[in-house]
Parts: sequence; structure tokens; C-alpha cells
Amino acid sequence: MENISDPPHALPGDFAIWVFIFAELTVFGVLFSAFAFARAAHVDLFNQSQLALNRGLGAANTLVLVTSSYFVARATRAIKDGRGLLCGHWLTGALGLGVVFLALKLFEFHQDYAHGITLSTNLFDMFYLSLTFFHFMHVLMGMAILAVVAYKAYAGRYGVEDHAGVETGGSYWHMVDLVWIILFALVYVIR
Amino acid sequence: MKYESQRVAKPYFIAALALFAGQIVFGLIAGFQYLDGTFLFPEIPFDVAHMSHTNLLIVWLLMAFMGAAYYIVPEEAQTELYSPKLALITFWVFLGAAVLTLFGYLFVPYSQLAAMTGDKLLPTMGRGYLEQPLPVKIGIVLVALSLLFNITMTLLKGRKTSLNLILIGALWGLALLFLPAFYFPIDTVKASYSWWWIVHGWVEGDWELILGALLGFILIKMTGVDREIVEKWLYVIIAMTLVTGIIGIGHHYYFIGAPRYWIWLGSIFSALEPIPFILLIAFAFKMLLRRRREHPNKAAMLWAMGTPIVAFLGAGLWGFMITLAPVQNYVHGTNLTAAHGHLAFFGAYAMVSLAIISYAMPLLRGREANSAAAQRWEMSGFWIMVISMIGITLALTGAGIVTAFLQRMGAHPLGFMQVQSKERVFFWLREFCGLCFFGGLVVYLRSFFMSGEYEYSDEAIRALAS
Amino acid sequence: MKLTSIRPLPCTSTWTLLLVLTLASLRLGASGSGPALVMAVLALTLIKGQLIADYFMGLRRVRSLWRTAMFAYLVVVGGLIATAYLIA
Repeated sequence: MENISDPPHALPGDFAIWVFIFAELTVFGVLFSAFAFARAAHVDLFNQSQLALNRGLGAANTLVLVTSSYFVARATRAIKDGRGLLCGHWLTGALGLGVVFLALKLFEFHQDYAHGITLSTNLFDMFYLSLTFFHFMHVLMGMAILAVVAYKAYAGRYGVEDHAGVETGGSYWHMVDLVWIILFALVYVIR
Repeated sequence: MKYESQRVAKPYFIAALALFAGQIVFGLIAGFQYLDGTFLFPEIPFDVAHMSHTNLLIVWLLMAFMGAAYYIVPEEAQTELYSPKLALITFWVFLGAAVLTLFGYLFVPYSQLAAMTGDKLLPTMGRGYLEQPLPVKIGIVLVALSLLFNITMTLLKGRKTSLNLILIGALWGLALLFLPAFYFPIDTVKASYSWWWIVHGWVEGDWELILGALLGFILIKMTGVDREIVEKWLYVIIAMTLVTGIIGIGHHYYFIGAPRYWIWLGSIFSALEPIPFILLIAFAFKMLLRRRREHPNKAAMLWAMGTPIVAFLGAGLWGFMITLAPVQNYVHGTNLTAAHGHLAFFGAYAMVSLAIISYAMPLLRGREANSAAAQRWEMSGFWIMVISMIGITLALTGAGIVTAFLQRMGAHPLGFMQVQSKERVFFWLREFCGLCFFGGLVVYLRSFFMSGEYEYSDEAIRALAS
Repeated sequence: MKLTSIRPLPCTSTWTLLLVLTLASLRLGASGSGPALVMAVLALTLIKGQLIADYFMGLRRVRSLWRTAMFAYLVVVGGLIATAYLIA
């Protein structure tokens, strides 16, 4: 993160990733809207089924993901100062938190399955599992991207002038975080 | 043309166009049989005309894709093709198998064909687009493996560009996705699943990657835009294709006995499948606007720009119209589906194939672009075919809507044949447009027989005169 | 080193704020149900989303088009969700 007095500059990272980010946000946006409107026709079912969710785990995952995004922001700041090694470390930290997210989510899926929650149980469960699984896949993809960026950061392939890759990969990760923020509020919290 | 071995693309392209012409002939026959069911009966019954039409489509597109691969891969990898000889042998095997299969359809009763070719050992015949006898299916796999071996070896010994990786990866995907053709269980739900893994997986997934790669190659060559920019766009387009298309397969699972959640998942994800087509249009036109040169092959440019637009209309727009579960409940399997299928196949895959042929053929024949006269014929062919196909699409759309209202809705739905008889005007319109399409094809093909190359001096003179 | 120069980085402040807002949303959500709470949590979510966009993604220092696009996205999606909850 740069100082407030820094001059304004170009879009962080590749233009292409931003097209992709907005396209992905659109897909998730449609999914979220579908969930909300499906709920409108099955309010009691949704309210009832939502109680079976592990809100604690969901909240923990929110904190994990937000913190990992913070780490990525710190990584970007580090590379802007030309500190490739530090950048790599922050990214490794973010990846570590990503692993924590995946582990918590997998545990949650395991619990759900044990309680008989499947795609076919009811409409809420179908949406809950689909949304979180779809997001899960994006966390995986984000981690793959961050891993590549971290590797290149350690290898000294980025510098003060040339670090678009870090911003590109970082932007994608922030999107994954942003999507979860909405997902958590929508699926786990509001009723 | 930079490498001698790129020449092997030529026979593939020629065969593709010949089979394309054959496809249309059978299409006209089948189309006329909607109006007169006894036409050419019993020599060429409707089912034979139909499967000849569809199988020829698939084979000519595969020929075009293979030719494109043999042309593009060496140039991208900056090295000669691993084995031009293998490519040529494979060509003759593929063409021979295709012709033999066609003769089998035409001259042998289908059940006899099945008995003769070992269908009893491993049943694979009888499904739409997969009517080929078992040995032919095995042959297709071998032909694909030969292609993949050849281009992969070429890639390994040369420069690895993103475009090449996408194209070759997609071709591997094409081959792998064909394997469910050998899985034909008695359980009709599972049989449907596997059929759609091939069909949807191909045309709403894997082939879109090929479409992107071919279009990307043409645009890099013809506009001179930085390769990196093109490749980045391709990655975004491909990602959106896969994100929407993989779960989007669910729009074929609504009414086949699959779990209910597919109604939701299929509807939501397939509704978003038009996105990559919108991106393709944006991509193509952005590259056009950013071009650094005026390529003399205006015809190829026309094909390249027309492809994403017609693809969007057919695949994106018409596809969207029939994709949501509540709507599909009424229109499933009507002529609306046929309308979508025709415009989508033509826009996305036929047109991109004609685009790569348009770009590469002059080069394979030793010139940068055809003469202005030849290009005019080619471009006229383009317009006639595109407009005719839109006509076919609109005609079939009309028929489909009638079916939905009279046969699928209301308190007293009418029977199939009764409704078909009410739609005759649409079938006449379709056949008329089909004949126009054939005319456009003839005009298009004529352009290949006009000699002469593009004369820059003529253009300069014209420019000075105006 | 002057005391005035010891201040948290913008991204650190953002992170802290996000954590606080997350806990606030949780508290609100746990306190019951109903349209008012739903709107409150959605509003908090919108703020959190914009914070991520501005400070983590860094859109604050970029041509306003992108920042506006992101804000528009959050408003549209939030609005659709709010509508669906209100008509339920």
C-alpha cells in the first residue's frame, strides 16, 4: 500500500485480469441474486436450513481470508520498494492462510455431509453447497496464481519498475476475498 | 507461409470444403423431405440424409481444424512439422474412412451395417452424431492420436507460445472428450450423460478454445497487433468459457432423469455462457481498431470479423433463448433448438474454419492474398451464406414457436404430425434459404478457381484516382 | 524518528476496520432477523467490499472509472439481494 500523497497511476496489474475479475464477479453476482430470489419463494425453508450452518467456521474463514488479503497488500507494498524477498514472504503467509481456509472449509463440508446435507436435500442446501464449492475452486485457483507470483518474487524476477505480475495476481486474490465477504453475509448471516 | 511442412494443411482444407459441399447437398435433401416425405425414398430415407448431413459437418470441421493445426503449429513453434509424411498418410486414412462411412450409410441398411462392423462386441452405434461403425470410431481416435503426436512433437522442439499451448491443449481435449463415444450403457440416463460429455464438451467447451486460438492467430497475423495482447484476451475468453460451460452442461440434464439441482445449476451457468462470445466480439473489434497494417486479404478479415458476431447470435443469443429450464420445458427438442444449432455451428465453427482457410490458402498457393476480383467473389459468398443462414434460423425459429404453442402448451395440445403440417410455410422458407445458402457456397468456391494475386499497384492507382 | 511518522499503513488500518466490521456484522446477524437488520448487514458488506476495492486492490489511486464500476457492482448486487429480501 502506498502513501496517500503518491501520484495516481495505472490500473494495478494487467488490463486482462480486470476484465476477468469483473466477468467472475458477474457470475457470482448472478449466483447471489439467484439465491436471494429463490429464498423469496421459500423463506421458511431457507431460514430453517440456515440454522444448521456452522456460522463460527464461516466467520473464522472470513477473518482468515481478510487477513490473507492484507498479507497480499503488504506483499505488493514490499515489491514496490523493490524488496522481492519480503514480497515472497508476505505471499507465502497469504498462501498459508489460504491453506487454513481450505482446511476449515473441507472440515465444514465433512460436517455437512455427516449431518446429511447434500445437493439434493433441499434448495437452500443446494445453493449453500454450490456457492461455497464454486468459491472453493476459486480459492484454489487464486492460490495457484499466488504460488507462481511468490516463486517469481523469490527468484528476483520483479523489481521497483516491473511488478505488474504481483498486482495482477494480488487483484485476483482480493476478488476471491471480496466474493467471500458477500457470500458469508448472504448465506450465513442475514435472515 | 514460412515452413515447407505447412503445405500439408492444403489437402485438409480442400477436403474440408468438398465435404462441406456434400454436407449442404444432404441438408437440402433432408430439408425437402420435411415437405415431401417420399422424396428419394427408399434410396435415401430421411434418417440417412440426416446423419449424412450431420456426420459430414463434423468431419469437415475436424478436417479444417486439423489443417489449421498443421498450418499454425509449425509457424508458432518456429520449426518444421515433426512429420509431414505422417500428416499426409493420416489425411488419406481420415478421408478414406469418412467416404467409406458415408457409403456405408447410403448403401447398407443401418442394422446390417452394425452387424457387419462388430457393434455386437461393443455397442457404440445408434446415437446422434455418433452413428459411425465401431472400426471408424477407433479410426477417428487413431487419426486424432496421429495429429496430436505430430503437433506435440513439433511443439516440444520449438518455441512454446501461449497460442500454440491453447490450440494443442484444446486438440488434446477434443480427442479425450471423444472417448465417451465408446461408452453406451443400457441406462438411458447414463447414456445421455456420456453423450453430452462429448457434444456439449466439444461445442460449448473445447471447440470454443479452438475457435479462440484460430481467431487469435488470424488477428495476430493480419493486424500486426502485439501477440501478448491477443494472448491475454484469449486467456480471459477461455477462462470464461470453462467457468460457464463446465457446469453449464447442466442445461442438457434438466429432463433426462438427473438430480433436480441441475435445474438450477444448469440454468444459472448456461445463462452466462454467452459471456465469452460477447468477449470474442469485443476482442476481435478491438484488435481491428488497433491494427498496425492494412492486410491485403480483405476477405479473410471479413470472415474473421463476421465469425464472432454470428457466433454470438447463434450460440449466445439463440442459445440463451432456449437454455433456462422453465423455458426449455416447452421448447426442448423443437425447431428452436435446430435454429440455434444451425446458426451456432455456422457462426462459431464453420465461419472460423472458412476464415483460417481464407487466410492460409493464398499463402499455401504462393501469394499473400488473392486478386481483388477473387476476393469480391469470396466476400459475396460470405454475405449470401450468412444472410441465408440467418434466414434458415428465422424460419426454424418460427416453426419452433408454433410447436411450443400448439403442441406443448394449452389445454388441448395437438399431435406432432398435425403441428408439423401447420408449419409447412416455415419449412418452405427454410428450404428456399437453404438453396440460397448453397448458391452462396458455389459463389464462394468459385473464388478459389480465379487466378491472380492481389495487386498493390491497382489499389494505389485507385487511391490516387479518388 | 518523530512520533508523527509512526502511524499504521493504510492497508493495516483497512484490515483492522474489516475485522471490526466483520465482527459487527456477526453481532447484528446474531441479534435477530428482519428487514432492518438485513439492510444493516448488507450496508456493512457494501462498505467492506468498497474498502477492499479501494485499499487492497488499490483502486483508490486509479482512474475513477474502475472504482465506480466496483461500487456499481456492489450496489447492484446488494440492491438485488435487498429487493429479494424485502419482497420475501
